[in-house]
Amino acid sequence: KSFASKERRLSIRKNIKRQMGLQDTSKDLVGNMEVDAFRRLFPLPFFERHLLESIRPDARPLGTARDTTVALGVVASADGSALAKVGYTTMLAAIKMEVMTPSLGSPDEGGIAVDFHMPPVCSPLIKPGRPAEAAAVLCKQLTDVIISSGMVNLKELSLIPGKAAWMAYLDVYCLDADGALFDAALLSAVSAFSHLHIPAVSVNDDGRVVAVSGELVEDNLVKVTLNKSKRKLTLSCIPFSLTCLLYKKYILADPTAEEESIMETSVTVVLDLSGRLVSFYKPGGPVLAHTSALQDCVALTRQRVKELQNILNEAIADMDLD
Amino acid sequence: MEFVSPEGLRLDGRRPMEMRQIRGEVGAVSKADGSAVFEMGNTKVIAAVYGPREVQNRGQQMSDQALVRCEYSMANFSTGDRMRKPKGDRRSIEISLVIRQTMEACIMTHLMPRSQIDIFVQVLQADGGTRSACINAATLALADAGIPMRDLVTSCSAGYLNSTPLLDLNYIEDSAGGPDVTVGILSKLDKVTLLQMDAKLPMDIFENVMQLAVEGCKAIANYIREVLLENTKQLEHRRGI
Repeated sequence: KSFASKERRLSIRKNIKRQMGLQDTSKDLVGNMEVDAFRRLFPLPFFERHLLESIRPDARPLGTARDTTVALGVVASADGSALAKVGYTTMLAAIKMEVMTPSLGSPDEGGIAVDFHMPPVCSPLIKPGRPAEAAAVLCKQLTDVIISSGMVNLKELSLIPGKAAWMAYLDVYCLDADGALFDAALLSAVSAFSHLHIPAVSVNDDGRVVAVSGELVEDNLVKVTLNKSKRKLTLSCIPFSLTCLLYKKYILADPTAEEESIMETSVTVVLDLSGRLVSFYKPGGPVLAHTSALQDCVALTRQRVKELQNILNEAIADMDLD
Repeated sequence: MEFVSPEGLRLDGRRPMEMRQIRGEVGAVSKADGSAVFEMGNTKVIAAVYGPREVQNRGQQMSDQALVRCEYSMANFSTGDRMRKPKGDRRSIEISLVIRQTMEACIMTHLMPRSQIDIFVQVLQADGGTRSACINAATLALADAGIPMRDLVTSCSAGYLNSTPLLDLNYIEDSAGGPDVTVGILSKLDKVTLLQMDAKLPMDIFENVMQLAVEGCKAIANYIREVLLENTKQLEHRRGI
């Protein structure tokens, strides 16, 4: 955060103190506690004071997303994995491959199964024993976007047409829920797919597919080696997303959990690298939006897609260097 | 199968009395009151503590002490084969109970009546010793949350294979069928809170193996103390003291 933005944040806090009738006292600790109390008791006016100056409490301009990082290969026991952090929101995605018989309708295609979990670790609002409502909603959203985007060519997951194909089990775990969960989840899922190495397998005499370790052992049972070394998938039209909150005439990109709890109307736009719209999700909400607002959201997403593409490419390059 | 080579090296190149590399980090989850990530070799565990907060189920509220709850769950991808039921199966419930009772012994619950302390532990990668890693992570998380405790609880496991006591078993050594002793101690008070063992072992060898595990616990306690001191120094620095 730059020096100038810290100044702005402090000046807004001083304005609020003045409004509340507090003087600029030397006892800044007490002054700060009053502002924090104001933030808890009257969250909406607190945010509105910031929105009037086109800034948010963490000094971000309205259309800017939080700092994003991606790390690949964090789970050694999985075939592909990635950890994505957008601000404090942390998502861990891992893919494990298993062999299955393909369905009769599509004998030359593999499958992807997406599961999203929100363990009680991630948020104080989650009670153990009962899965959060948000987890089920996000799971469906994630599955729909990944499958409909056509990012993974299911024919690449086929081993023996009609007999054996790969099933990619993608599990996304939320480790810290601080708003804009879908963006981080999609980013981690996409990164995990780009890190995925399909294990080397060969077919036994009795038709069973077995995993092959690094060295190829001459075995009477081994009939056909299906792929000698681990290969990666070719991904096309990788989707990236941005969630925005709509409030009166403001559009806030990449909200934190606090912002989401106050201003409920959210819009999630998913675009792929060629700028095509993959998914648009506005699940109701108190704010009714004009088409101009929706187009602004799409424009913000377009910018964000470029940023995310760079971040992912850097992560892949770092991985290759290792 | 040979678990200790004639030169005295184990499958992963360690000596019998050598622990795996440990790493602990405080403050991993921003939303939690206290959180920590703890790694013992390839076993990675994340723990989050929420509390003391209002009791969610009024019927369970205790008027003279805090209610401690614990949930242990493993990620689907944490083990070699993908797990179908990561929570709610018997092993997870048993480990949740063990961790809860271990931590409850050292938290000063009488200082926080009518409240609830939740400890959630999630295993991200499992390579043997998950129980111990969870207890160590929970200790760090509780300390990060500022919950008053009598002492640091640390835990370590030890086994006996090829007539040698081994410290800190990994998954392959654990599933070899030999005895597996897990010990949890309060380090400064030098008291044992957790002791679990399965498979047969003569009494004198058991004492050796348990002593080895206790040494391992003390080493982990020293490391955890360093991590917490370092964390406090950073907090002081940020406050500008």
